[in-house]
Amino acid sequence: MSLSYSFKLATRSLLHEKWINLLSILTIAAGLLITALTIFSVYNIDIATQKLPDKFSVMLYLKDNISRQDVDHIIDTARRDSVVEKVKYIPKDEAMKELKTVLKNTEYVLDGLGENPLPDTIEIKLKSETITPDIVKRFSARLKETKGINEIEYGEKFLSSIYSLRVGVKAIGIIFIIIMSAGMLFVCYSTVKILFYRKHEEIETYKLLGATKTFIRGPFIIEGAVIGFFGGMLSLAGMLSLYYLFILRISATFPLFKTIHFPVEIAFTLPLAGLLLGISGAVIAIGRIRY
Amino acid sequence: MIHFQDVSKHYDNHTALRKITFYIEKGEMVFVTGPSGSGKSTLLKLIYMAEKPDEGEITVAEWEINKLKDSAIPLLRRNIGVVFQEFRLLDNRNIFENIALTLRIRGFDEREIKARVFESLKMVNLRHKADNFPSALSGGEQQRVAIARAIVSEPRILLADEPTGNVDPDTSAGIIRTFKDINAKGTTILIATHNREMFRETGRRVMKLDFGNFTGEEPG
Repeated sequence: MSLSYSFKLATRSLLHEKWINLLSILTIAAGLLITALTIFSVYNIDIATQKLPDKFSVMLYLKDNISRQDVDHIIDTARRDSVVEKVKYIPKDEAMKELKTVLKNTEYVLDGLGENPLPDTIEIKLKSETITPDIVKRFSARLKETKGINEIEYGEKFLSSIYSLRVGVKAIGIIFIIIMSAGMLFVCYSTVKILFYRKHEEIETYKLLGATKTFIRGPFIIEGAVIGFFGGMLSLAGMLSLYYLFILRISATFPLFKTIHFPVEIAFTLPLAGLLLGISGAVIAIGRIRY
Repeated sequence: MIHFQDVSKHYDNHTALRKITFYIEKGEMVFVTGPSGSGKSTLLKLIYMAEKPDEGEITVAEWEINKLKDSAIPLLRRNIGVVFQEFRLLDNRNIFENIALTLRIRGFDEREIKARVFESLKMVNLRHKADNFPSALSGGEQQRVAIARAIVSEPRILLADEPTGNVDPDTSAGIIRTFKDINAKGTTILIATHNREMFRETGRRVMKLDFGNFTGEEPG
């Protein structure tokens, strides 16, 4: 069978059943647009939370009168650990100097303190991929045994909250995307199934005249693909409009939204996603053809 | 070309064919006759595999029907032209497209399709109706379109189920002449009819069916 004839039959059917097909295209477009917005949100939340580890560090507060040898031992032990990126020793005097810089004009609050109350500190930066509550907790436990450390602080609760937010948002996003995809698949399936039923007699005649399964399926699969593809294109247009008309303006006006990033590759996969959904829906709807 | 050996076909509440055995030679033109419900249509359907036998064996050309895989059925049907009792013309296509469909299914190119469709329409005197839709045609004309569609691919076997059911005697005689012409080119033809006028004086073999039983044969 020539492919052009399949296209001809599909075009004829698309135009003949234009309202049901248009409705399917719009439904798929809406579904894909909502899915794309979900991906867009998850992506940006992920990026925003990924940036936090840059500022994350584990602080080791050392005991008073610790010997230089013990400090070196702690630094050595930390550097040997595979999760560590950078180790910085901050003597108490230097810490006080930094504090004074921070306080600037309100330095007087430190008057009357007498002896420097700040402890010697070691600041440890971890490799960004290792910053998860579990890994940091284990790293902290390993160091705790080392002689000369008084206290370890790394904002355990804050880290857990950020990590839970990332995992939660991703999980909800994935579940939502799966549900939306199933919904869109069902739309394509239903559309082709209705068309298939309407043409039941025609298909029976095809079979009796010697048509192969490919000949019968071809136009329906093309029809599903066209519906899915146009749904995808329409959702891409919607996504680009939303981005240029709203998101870009909001991020230009409000500094909080400056970090919003538009993943172009996700947007351009929309027509492809629509195409695949359309073809899959059609294939499932036609099912097995029996003679 | 067509061989039935002890073939039976049962439906829920009755037996359509009972232990039927016959042989049709290549190039023969045979009639099968009997009253309505005698099993004529079922016999034809078993040949083009619209039905499957419950017992017995059927051979059509080189195909053993009982052993034929689902995927091979289109190939068998492409070798058989069928004039269906209910015509089975597609209402949403014009006459040209209805006939051309047979050739498109077989992968013919556009030039060949055009030539063959007009040639077959000429054979049934409907060349001028190519652009009409089936609904604009009389029952007799639709029947002739169904014949044109069955012969357009020059099949090895032609099956016709009551091909003169809706036509006047003159048209009926014309259809018989068309079948004879096709048969003269080597096509094996089996015609199911309850109209005795159709095979009278044709000198062709006639198989008689009654309530699913073979009741005799008139030699050609």
